[in-house]
Parts: sequence; structure tokens; C-alpha cells
Amino acid sequence: MTIISLQHVTKDYGHGRGIFDVSFHVKKGTVYGFLGPNGAGKTTAIRHIMGFSKPQQGIVTVSGLNSWNNASTIQETLGYLPGEVALPEHLTGEQFIQMMMDLRKIKDDTHCKKLMDFFELDASGKVKRMSLGMKRKLAIVTAFMHDPDILVLDEPTSGLDPIMQQRFIDFIKDEKRRGKTILLSSHIFTEVDATCDEISIIKEGHIISSFNKQELLNMTEKVFHLTVENTKDYTQLIQMIESDITFQLISKNEQINELQISCYPSDLSKLIKRIADFPLLSFSEVPFSLEKHFMEFYDRRVGGELPWQ
Amino acid sequence: MINGTIFKQTLRANIKLWLIFTLVLTLLQVVMVSVFDDRMITDIGHMVEGTPLAGFFGQTTLLSMLASTFYAIHGVIFPIIYIIMTANSLIAAQVDRGSMAYLLSTPTKRSTIIVTQASYLIIALVVMFCIETVAGFITLQVFQSDVDVVIADFMMLNIGLFLLMFAISGISFFFSSLCNLSKNSLAFGAGIPLAFFLFQLLSSVDDSLEVLRYFTMNALFDTAAILEGENYWWQFGILLGIGIVLYIASLVVFKRKDLPL
Repeated sequence: MTIISLQHVTKDYGHGRGIFDVSFHVKKGTVYGFLGPNGAGKTTAIRHIMGFSKPQQGIVTVSGLNSWNNASTIQETLGYLPGEVALPEHLTGEQFIQMMMDLRKIKDDTHCKKLMDFFELDASGKVKRMSLGMKRKLAIVTAFMHDPDILVLDEPTSGLDPIMQQRFIDFIKDEKRRGKTILLSSHIFTEVDATCDEISIIKEGHIISSFNKQELLNMTEKVFHLTVENTKDYTQLIQMIESDITFQLISKNEQINELQISCYPSDLSKLIKRIADFPLLSFSEVPFSLEKHFMEFYDRRVGGELPWQ
Repeated sequence: MINGTIFKQTLRANIKLWLIFTLVLTLLQVVMVSVFDDRMITDIGHMVEGTPLAGFFGQTTLLSMLASTFYAIHGVIFPIIYIIMTANSLIAAQVDRGSMAYLLSTPTKRSTIIVTQASYLIIALVVMFCIETVAGFITLQVFQSDVDVVIADFMMLNIGLFLLMFAISGISFFFSSLCNLSKNSLAFGAGIPLAFFLFQLLSSVDDSLEVLRYFTMNALFDTAAILEGENYWWQFGILLGIGIVLYIASLVVFKRKDLPL
């Protein structure tokens, strides 16, 4: 079931800014990563989901409701964490939490207390005097105090220290286990890598790639790092790899008899059989990093062809 | 339509400014009323007898003195400054800073926010002018009990001044609702009321500038008409109408516009 849906949404702010013919769908219970450099249009897309902006073309729905006409109804089951922290500064943290509870008509504060403990939020002081990280935590607690079914997170971990970033990633994973639907925008590869099932890359207002992370992993070449015991076997291995088109030699270092080989997952057992005859000192997989993959896209022109399509 | 939680927070955030302006306005009114000295005016009247100024002082009453001072300058400019600051902070400043996002990420309708914030501004002005009027009335009774003052005219001066401020607050609130940036909201929401005030002031200074009367809404608060018993109800009606139309327009534009949150 589709929870968040953008269909051919266009919003042109002029000077090439905005989003153009953006479509994507977030299914129930999945974590959707929305990745792109600063100014690519991530926040613009989220504005439309929140009903802050009206699309010039296309339609945005949340749980089947038009997000522009039904913004306030949608908010009942949606938690939004803005990218920029701009809290009302004349309040104390506790007053702000109370205000948000009243606005959301929440009577029971057990979930809120749980979140405050989890993120180690001290809300006693004036918001104006809080550090950026503490404001961020306050925003997180107030965004999720009503235990929403849909979470919309705009660069959620910026401003948090590494420990809190990890804790936030744990929180997202936990929410996913509880069946929540999550849209996460980010330009940080690690948090997208760690949490998302589906990923879209946006650049200059256009979605240039959408894929399922697991499928991508299955379709991408694996890279292995090998060290051979002696030079004779090393040269033989190199020859063997170079003569077989199934495998690619990525790099070699003759001084210390090292090399890197890549192959598709379907050819893995063949590779292992071949190298089993060689005396190896080490054999390890170079972990796949989305980062390298994304970087290709960031440099690629808008609408560029994908290497695996 | 009014949200109690938002109203409470707005009150908390704005009460200090309101108190200061209400205090200043009330004190000005009290001072203006209490310093009026009937005999001094008569003395001056005698002094200038036979000069071109004779007519001016001959007809000076407490209310006409107030009309050319408090109800033309102090009582107009101080509430205008209060309106400019408050109207901007109620909507545009929160959109500009981004803190409006927190209100709109709760099941609160945009119309509820506008109605609540507009109610605060109107109620703040009503209470401000009630306090000013009551204080002025008490001062009249205490310090000027021997002077013959038409209380009905005094009340009408205050009602007229309030209606002018209601219309001006409509201008400032409208631009606060329309603009996404504080600087734009202030350019129009402060610029127009201040221009109206200056036009009115200049038009009363010199006959050659009287044409400016036709370019200022403040001329609709016609103190001379009130004191001389002319018909001023249509002017009151227009001021009230301008205010109502602008507040409704604020609601419409805020509901329809894109918010950069």
C-alpha cells in the first residue's frame, strides 16, 4: 500500500531551482531515502508532502489524501522533523513540549517521556539558551511524541553528535520494525546506507535514479582483496584473471603481491574455485559502499544512463 | 476557530510589549487631560485679542486641544508603532524564521492560526483603548471637574481613534500574512501606516499641503467633525469596513499561499 505518493510534481522557483516532474512512492512499512546534494530540491519535495506548498503540476497524496487540501488531517498521523531548527525562543523546553502536546491533543505523556530518556533531552532551560544539538533533540521529541505512523525527516542527524546520530539511526530501525513508514532526506551516505530500503537520488530538481538497495547490492560487482604467498603464483594468478572475461583485475601491487578482483555475485563460486589452487595469505571482500555509487551520480549529468540498466 | 493553546503562547510572547505601549498611551492621555488649564487659555485669549490668532484661542476647549494633540499625534503614532511590531511578529516573522512549521506540523488549520493571531491583535487594541479611555475619563472627573466637557464627544473621539487603529492593524496584519519575509512585511505593513500618519500631519500644518488629506486613511478619523457635531458615521463605517475586509483578505491569502517552511 502506498502511503506517500508524488506524481509528476513540478514546482519551478525560477533560475533552475525547484523540482521538475518528480515522482516517487513510499510503500507502507518501508524506509525511503531521498538523497541529494544541498539545494537539489529535497526540502521542496517535503514541503509539498507537508502541504506547505501547492504543486504547479502533479499531485501529492499522503495516505490517499491530497496533501494540499487535507494538510491538517494528515498531520494527525504524521511526524515531521524540519531540516532547520527554528523553535519559538521565548519558551522553555518544557513549555514548548507542553504546547505541542496541547496542539496535538495528547493527554498521555509516557511516549514523550520515553523519547526524552532515549535521546537524553534536558528540556528544563530556555530554548534560546540551548545548544544546537539540544534544540535538535527537542525537535525530534516533539516530532514523534504522538507516535505517528508516518515519519518525514529532513536531514535528521545534522547537528547531532556521533553517539546521538547512531542512536537516531537505531531509533529509525526500531520504528521500521514497528511498521512505520519513513521518508528520510539526507546528503549523508552513511545514514541512508544504514537505514533505507528504497533510495532515490535527486539532483537539480530531477530524480536521476531510484532503486532498491538490496537489488542494487545483488546486481553490483563484488570486489575482493587478495595477497598471494610468492611472486611465481602471483604472476600466474594475474594471468589467469586477465584471460577470463568473467573477472576484472581492478588493481595490483607487485611489490607485496597484492591484487583486487571484481566479479558479479553470480560468478562468485567460479571465482572461489579458481583461486582455491593458489597459496593465499589473505582473502577479503572490499565492503560495498553506496558512497562510491552516489558519487558517480553526483558527477553524472542529469538524466544520465545507469550502468546496470 | 480560535485555538486556546496558540492564543496563550501568543499572549505570553507579546504581553510585555503590549503593557509598555498601553502604559505609555494611558500616561500620555492622563497628562494631556490633567495639564489643561481653562484660565490659562482664557488669559492667552486675552493676550492675542485683535491678532490673527484670536479666533484660534477663543474657541479652544479641552476636547479641541486634545483633538489637535493626543488624537492627532501621540495617540496615533504610539499605537501605530505597537501595531507594526506586533502584526509582523504574529505571522510574517514566524514564517520567516521557520517556527511556523511547528504549528503547522500539528493538526492545526492555517485558518485557525490566522483567526487566533488576528483575534489577539484586535483584542489587544480593544483592551488598550478601553484602558486609555477609562483612564482619560477618570482624569477628567478628578482634575477637570470644573470644566464643561461633552462626555459623548470624548467617547466618540476614542471610538474613532480605535476604529482608525483597527483599520491600520488590518493593513499591517494583511502584509504580515501575505509576505514570507519580515523585511517585506515591514516595508508595507509599517510603510503605509507611517506614510498615512505623515500625510495627515503635513496636511494639517499648511494649507498648501491640504491636498494630502485625500491620500491618507487617517483623514477618515475627523476630529473636527466629531466636535462640531457633523455627520461622521459614514467615516466610522468606512474605517470599520476597511479593517474587516483586510482581515478577511489576510485569511484568504494565508490559506492559499506557499509557505517556505
